[in-house]
Amino acid sequence: MADILTGAALFILAVTALGLFRVLRAEFAVERMMAVQLLGTGGAAALLLLGAASGTGAMTDVALLLMLFAAFSCAAFALGQASPSVEGAERREDGA
Amino acid sequence: MTPAIGPRPLSSLLARGVGFLILWVVLIGTTPINLLIGLAAAAAATWASGLLWPAHGGIDALGLLRFVLRFLPQSIVAGVDVARRAFAPHPMLQPGLVACRTSLPAGTARRAMCALMSLQPGKLPVAVDPDGTLHIHCLDQREPIKEQTAADEAAFCGMLRDGAGHG
Amino acid sequence: MAPADAFTLLFVTAGAILFLAGTLGLLRFPDTLSRLHALSKADNLGLGLIVIGLLPQCDSVTAGLKLVCVWLLAQLSAATASQLIAGAVYRRKSGP
Repeated sequence: MADILTGAALFILAVTALGLFRVLRAEFAVERMMAVQLLGTGGAAALLLLGAASGTGAMTDVALLLMLFAAFSCAAFALGQASPSVEGAERREDGA
Repeated sequence: MTPAIGPRPLSSLLARGVGFLILWVVLIGTTPINLLIGLAAAAAATWASGLLWPAHGGIDALGLLRFVLRFLPQSIVAGVDVARRAFAPHPMLQPGLVACRTSLPAGTARRAMCALMSLQPGKLPVAVDPDGTLHIHCLDQREPIKEQTAADEAAFCGMLRDGAGHG
Repeated sequence: MAPADAFTLLFVTAGAILFLAGTLGLLRFPDTLSRLHALSKADNLGLGLIVIGLLPQCDSVTAGLKLVCVWLLAQLSAATASQLIAGAVYRRKSGP
């Protein structure tokens, strides 16, 4: 079972890397920002799988933090991009 | 620890604090020293949630359950829909912007609805005009986007207590 | 193979396929906003399926709840990030 889970983790890492390659080559800064979200989701999935394969519970914490950083860096990026005239630009972060 | 915004029943604050403490225990564990820090963290989180949550934004428990039961299958449909289009030999896309009306006033509720709607199939709200026109990017303009948006909005409003937000 | 392992295998495979779909979407969809659809919807469902698949492998209830927390955080992060990125793209197109 552990081998299969590790294999799945590697597969997801490879696929995420391919996506990253595509997104990072884009010409707009906005599109490159999608890389953060991609890395957050893909990285979290790979970490969870590796954690289950090796029986290390701490991997879940790392995945949790990775997700958190992805969310915060996206918010920070959007704050930097936002022009003050646009509605809703002043309060970006609200829980769904 | 009571925030200054609006009168808030102590019981609801307490319930919220207990909720945050449970979350802490799930994430960190129950060692006494950790629990002590957890108490402080839960208090801080309750204080912050008092500041961030709109003053009269009650959530109806039954409405929330109904919303979740609709939201989960829809979000599976959303993922499968994107996957189907991505795997197709020629991506079946007709992307474009569709303008819809929303009756929710500007504020946290409307932004929350837009955020949730972006996880629903085929739709991605990109901007809202001051007069309440939603610009929604969709993968396929041939689909009945306006009807789906109205249904999403109705489901979202069913979650708000006393129909808050209708204005 | 134990039923729990078969369950895990099924859901992890489905999750991996959705990650593949997300990357294919990133590579093939014609415009930025469509690619954002692929990122926020397919990858998120992929992570959700992997979390469900790993639940039977957890050795305690809190470990399982933690996995669900990762997924909830990912949902929140994806919803917020896609809103922020879409807003930035829209302003870039129509803005000054």
